[in-house]
Amino acid sequence: MRAPANEEGRPPYLGFGLGLRPQHYRDILDGNPEVDWFEVISENYMVPGGQPLAILDRIAERYPVVMHGVSLSIASTQPFDEDYLDGLNALAKRVRPKWISDHLCWTGVHGVNLHDLLPFPYTREALDHVVSRVAYVQERIGRRLCLENVSTYVQFGQSEMPEWEFISELARRTGCWLLFDVNNVYVSAFNHGYDALSFLNGIPSDRVIQFHLAGHSDMVNYAIDTHDHPVRDEVWDLYEAALQRFGPVSTMIERDDDIPPLADMLDELAHARVLAEKVLGPKLHASAARPPTAA
Amino acid sequence: MAGDPRSPRRHRLKLKDFQDRFQRAILEGDDAILNDIPDGPRETKTNLLGIYRDAYPLRLIEVIGNDHELLRTYVGEDRFQVMARAYIESCPSQHPNARWFARRLPEFLSAREPYSRQPVLGELAALERALNDAFDGVDAPVLSMTNLTTIPPESWARLSFVCHPTAACLDVYSNVGAIWTALKAGKEPPSCTLSKDATRILVWRHDSTSMFRELTAEEAMMWEEMVKGRRFGDLCEMLAIYDDPPGAPARAAGFLKGWLEAGLLSEVVPAA
Repeated sequence: MRAPANEEGRPPYLGFGLGLRPQHYRDILDGNPEVDWFEVISENYMVPGGQPLAILDRIAERYPVVMHGVSLSIASTQPFDEDYLDGLNALAKRVRPKWISDHLCWTGVHGVNLHDLLPFPYTREALDHVVSRVAYVQERIGRRLCLENVSTYVQFGQSEMPEWEFISELARRTGCWLLFDVNNVYVSAFNHGYDALSFLNGIPSDRVIQFHLAGHSDMVNYAIDTHDHPVRDEVWDLYEAALQRFGPVSTMIERDDDIPPLADMLDELAHARVLAEKVLGPKLHASAARPPTAA
Repeated sequence: MAGDPRSPRRHRLKLKDFQDRFQRAILEGDDAILNDIPDGPRETKTNLLGIYRDAYPLRLIEVIGNDHELLRTYVGEDRFQVMARAYIESCPSQHPNARWFARRLPEFLSAREPYSRQPVLGELAALERALNDAFDGVDAPVLSMTNLTTIPPESWARLSFVCHPTAACLDVYSNVGAIWTALKAGKEPPSCTLSKDATRILVWRHDSTSMFRELTAEEAMMWEEMVKGRRFGDLCEMLAIYDDPPGAPARAAGFLKGWLEAGLLSEVVPAA
């Protein structure tokens, strides 16, 4: 496909980041912590004004920021909410994110939003549909979109290809970037009984620009992507495998519930740095210059 | 193969029909989608689909609870859960941003039995909604007294003012303000009382904090006219008709000073 307007090639490597959460605003603004970048939930800042946007402005002056949405509904058969896309563009103009991501899922049809990241069958029809929608969004936002694999709890008999094949084809046909959520791969592989490494090895390495790490809930017979625990050992193991396959990729930790103090999140992030250094060694340092922050 | 649950014999649903069916499974409990879902390696397909079914109301209850923390405390957890589920069923989200999902809760509680029998519930929800709206409402300059010091006294009668865009009024018939204040302080709220006449509450944002206060009938009248763009001299005359004509200019100046100090005004429009 034709490259979207303002195409600038692969986004920069950002190092090790965290999800920006209101519980940490004060510590971030007062302490200028050792975080290389922040990911912000786009919808939380798609508001008219007030303190959230004012704080985001201050943080975006000091740190690189990436926008991560939950409402694009890229796989929905319902037309896009154009106001939502306008809001996304307005926020991007304000915070100048390094990239804009959302999820490979749908969130509702018939004018209803279920506010969940819903699965769909990996069919050729769905692929054509999502390809056309990604192309549309990339034109609308004037840059390549970055899409994340979601955790799923069911599969569908009518799927014609595995998820990683669907994602690979989508990336090949649209040129979109990929956000490889390590935890989501672990959760989906556990729930569906496939080898997470099959997923990992099926993803094109040149399209992955971001890793997500997060904690999940182990329900014995299945796993749920709850983001309310520290990253589990089995996900750290998969992270190491992802580093080996994809090399230095901007990494961040998501925490959405039972959010601990910032110091705890920094400890967890330090562990990601240690693993990356162990796996990549000098290769990591070659591309890991921390972006400048305000004094 | 694991991870590739393709089935050559199955009739293929169009994506549009699939999404319709999956959504009905969540919203209406329709089980038709189960025909296309294989069991997981360790769990039944019914239980796996149940993860989505359970998550839907739980997520939205959390959204409502975040926006209406004090309403939740006031009615108690059990009743809040029932109330939230009734709202979710009656008013499915139509906005991509969950921030706006609970917007219709005040109207729902005011109109729907049994909640409508307790008007304070809808009013408490409306007050919380107004405070939330003020919190992330549009930014605008805040006018201060020093902005007015250079205006010659003879021009004052022809000045008009623009209120801060976060300022909004709501009329209540209960003592919801006192109830909100007690709940916010973690205290036992007073018994609910209802009056025949409405009390006007003014809500706005000042220094990034959402505020509210009740207005007297006289201040409410002057605020309403000020918002319409009435000149200060006209406002003084209206107050004089309302009560105590000789004291009207001083009372009007007092209200204006209070609004300036509270950050309620954004702009002064010079005399024409």
